[in-house]
Amino acid sequence: MWKYLLKRFALMFPTLLGVAVVTFILIRVIPGDVVELRLAGDRGSVSDEMLNAERIKFGLDQPVWRQFVTWIAGAARLDFGTSMWTGSPIWDEIRLRFALSFQVALMSTIVAVLLAIPLGVIAALRQDTWVDYTVRIFSIAGLATPSFWLGIVFILALLILFKWLPPMVYTPIWVNPWQNLAQLIWPALAVGYRYSAVATRMTRSAMLEVLREDYIRTARAKGLVEKLILSRHALKNAMLPVLTVIAIEFAFLIGGLVVTEQVFNLNGVGLLFVQAVAHRDYTLIQALVMLVAGIFILMNFLMDIMYAWLDPRIRYR
Amino acid sequence: MAINPAIDVAAEGLADTPHGGWRAAVADFCRRRPLGAIGAAVVVLMLAVAVSAELVAPYDPVAVDFGAMLTRPGVQHWLGTDAFGRDVLSRLLYGARTALLVGFGSALMGATGGAIIGVGSAYFGGKIDLYLQRLMDIFLSFPLIILALALVAILGNSIPNVIMAITIPMIPRSALVIRSSALAIREMPYVDAARAAGFGHARIIMRHMLPNVMAPYLIMLTAFLGQAILLESSLSFLGLGVQEPTAAWGLMLRGAAVDFAESAPWMAIFPGLAISLAVFAFNLFGDSLRDALDPKLRTL
Repeated sequence: MWKYLLKRFALMFPTLLGVAVVTFILIRVIPGDVVELRLAGDRGSVSDEMLNAERIKFGLDQPVWRQFVTWIAGAARLDFGTSMWTGSPIWDEIRLRFALSFQVALMSTIVAVLLAIPLGVIAALRQDTWVDYTVRIFSIAGLATPSFWLGIVFILALLILFKWLPPMVYTPIWVNPWQNLAQLIWPALAVGYRYSAVATRMTRSAMLEVLREDYIRTARAKGLVEKLILSRHALKNAMLPVLTVIAIEFAFLIGGLVVTEQVFNLNGVGLLFVQAVAHRDYTLIQALVMLVAGIFILMNFLMDIMYAWLDPRIRYR
Repeated sequence: MAINPAIDVAAEGLADTPHGGWRAAVADFCRRRPLGAIGAAVVVLMLAVAVSAELVAPYDPVAVDFGAMLTRPGVQHWLGTDAFGRDVLSRLLYGARTALLVGFGSALMGATGGAIIGVGSAYFGGKIDLYLQRLMDIFLSFPLIILALALVAILGNSIPNVIMAITIPMIPRSALVIRSSALAIREMPYVDAARAAGFGHARIIMRHMLPNVMAPYLIMLTAFLGQAILLESSLSFLGLGVQEPTAAWGLMLRGAAVDFAESAPWMAIFPGLAISLAVFAFNLFGDSLRDALDPKLRTL
């Protein structure tokens, strides 16, 4: 088992390195650079010497491979440098925004799990009845409704029905939990619905598969109470793929909330990414991508550990 | 043509009758999977509207009419007008054109690109497979929207470029699924036979492997259609996709639609409904298609 996990662990690094290389190249292909945008801005006239002086300051005059080596040497020590746009350290730029996105992602996950697992199980147990159809339509609709539009509808409904708007300024949960939740529950609900749709469908199909297994029939044959069959035999075995889907979605949510953050005026990681791209803030883009991809890759690794732990067939491979 | 027998294979899978033919397969699909048939009908309807937008739309979608700004839905303008006095219904109908163009364009290219890489990867195996898989892993580590955003920034935001930006993140996702189907096919005796008969790699891949991954291919394709439409609307909502004054659903939700949401809610409601309905129809159809072709395969 240790050998397997070690191999999995080692495999994370080439992927991360690959992500770093791809990002490094991609962002340098985007037309225009940070120096030009910051100094020349709205077509102000700036001499080429000044632009070049700035480029030298950021090391942008170096060949790309050398820039990469410098950057990766820092990244290996978790030093991502300073933002090329604002000049403040990357970690200061990211910290609070990450806390925000992380919280929304976590709250959406809670919403999704609370909806998905009961709905998925019920749909599987009542397969091909109206219950199943209702759940399926509800979840297909969840996949079809853009979260950002659902967000707009929420805001609109609150405004028209209660003459109330959620707070538009972010308060960290440790400052004022009530204010914080009043703001973040809406994006969490909007995103959680779509997210729950993914998880409901997985729960349903995993349950359907498990319910056809021999050990379920055995459990029924020996007269076990249906409730125990479901909780102890069926659900436990069906949860593995569901957990995987939830974990992967969670990892993607941290960086992937771009549009929802825009609607709710949340200054999260996604919005920061859009701004960073608009400013061609290479260091910031690079750090954000590494953060988001790193979480995704780490999540995958954790899932591997869990699978190996829960499933002896993998453990002894 | 390698494609025709392939589609027949798929159609047979649909109907579960070896000699049903196309019409029988369609009839059977409608009877057994009414939800899927409804989805397909909505898709066909949207296609018809998108193609004939000039004939169906009551107004010019880009015609500005400052006399009729923010008109409520009524006899003149069924779904009201926006902040420039443009007819919302007409913009929705023309928007279907943008959505379906981007949807079909990127889903088709994404699923096909993935199929080629997936089948090639499985067929050649060894080092090629390993390197291709690692490459796919790298691209899979980016959230879909983040990669699409970066690509739009690089390519620019004309419709073909938006299609490209949505296609590229989809390729590794379809390659992953199709590779696993192709791995099983590679072990089939007929592939060995073809190799023994001295056929080249290209011929074996085109004639023997590709037709047999049609089921997962079609499933990925329909799953991508909805996703591509959602992604396109997200991009244009952020102002990074198709640009004004082109009619696009995401674009219609942007700016004024939110600013005037309280006094003119129709501007925010209808485009969102259009997106949801379109994606819903594609998913409904795609789900039933998946159940009919390959119930074991999971998409989303």
